[in-house]
Amino acid sequence: MRRSVSIAGLAAALVLGIGVWGTGQKGSVTSAQEKMSTMEVRIDNFSFGPVALTVPVGTTVIWTNRDDIPHTVVSTDDPKTFKSKVLDTDEKFSFSFSKAGTYPYFCSIHPKMTGKVIVQ
Amino acid sequence: MHPFDIKTVLFAKHSQHVVLIHFPIALFIIGVLFDFLAQWKKQRLLAAAAYYNLLVAAIATVPVVVTGILAWQWELEGQKLKGILLMHLVMGCLSTVLIWVVWFIHTRTRRKQQEVLPGYRLPIEAVAVVIVALTGHLGGFLSGVNGPG
Repeated sequence: MRRSVSIAGLAAALVLGIGVWGTGQKGSVTSAQEKMSTMEVRIDNFSFGPVALTVPVGTTVIWTNRDDIPHTVVSTDDPKTFKSKVLDTDEKFSFSFSKAGTYPYFCSIHPKMTGKVIVQ
Repeated sequence: MHPFDIKTVLFAKHSQHVVLIHFPIALFIIGVLFDFLAQWKKQRLLAAAAYYNLLVAAIATVPVVVTGILAWQWELEGQKLKGILLMHLVMGCLSTVLIWVVWFIHTRTRRKQQEVLPGYRLPIEAVAVVIVALTGHLGGFLSGVNGPG
């Protein structure tokens, strides 16, 4: 009786251990996938960084305003592929690129601020 | 980019609002300076110089306000403003009103052919200069005059 209880305990511990390990593995795979599919552009000191960003199709680009000044992210094409609202400090804007191509953009408040996303 | 497209003319790389704003600021500040000097030195010539500077400053606010509102409506699609942009808008409107009030006080005195301008105009002018300077400071901050390039 005691032996069967200890075997059951071991089995439970094993199942629990595998479960925890599996969850950890799944989590790391998910975060790796997330890392693969999102890229960040930092807006700071009146510039986009990096100015040119190359990403695979399906990537979501997140622009974060780290400047003290409000900025926008607006594509230069017509009609606009993407256009953010005014981003205050620490506000973000994201856009998913589903088609390959070059997407130049600028800040409509400061038109000298330009950048581009190259989707391959 | 079409050279005769109205949006291109107004916003091509340099928003005209940013260019035009310097005229009312300079004219108003120098007009107030002349007015203070005219009050101190009791000189009609300085008072006349003050009047014409204030007149042109008031007129110059019109295209500035129009281009500022157009920039908001066209470039930012009239979205609800907040933070520095909202502060700049509110102070810009207040500055415009104060510039016109100062001009109105001067022109009313001239129309009535009164010799002496009311003394209360001087604190109004001083406050207006401060508000105009603060609005300009916010505008400069927004336009990135201290930024690279």
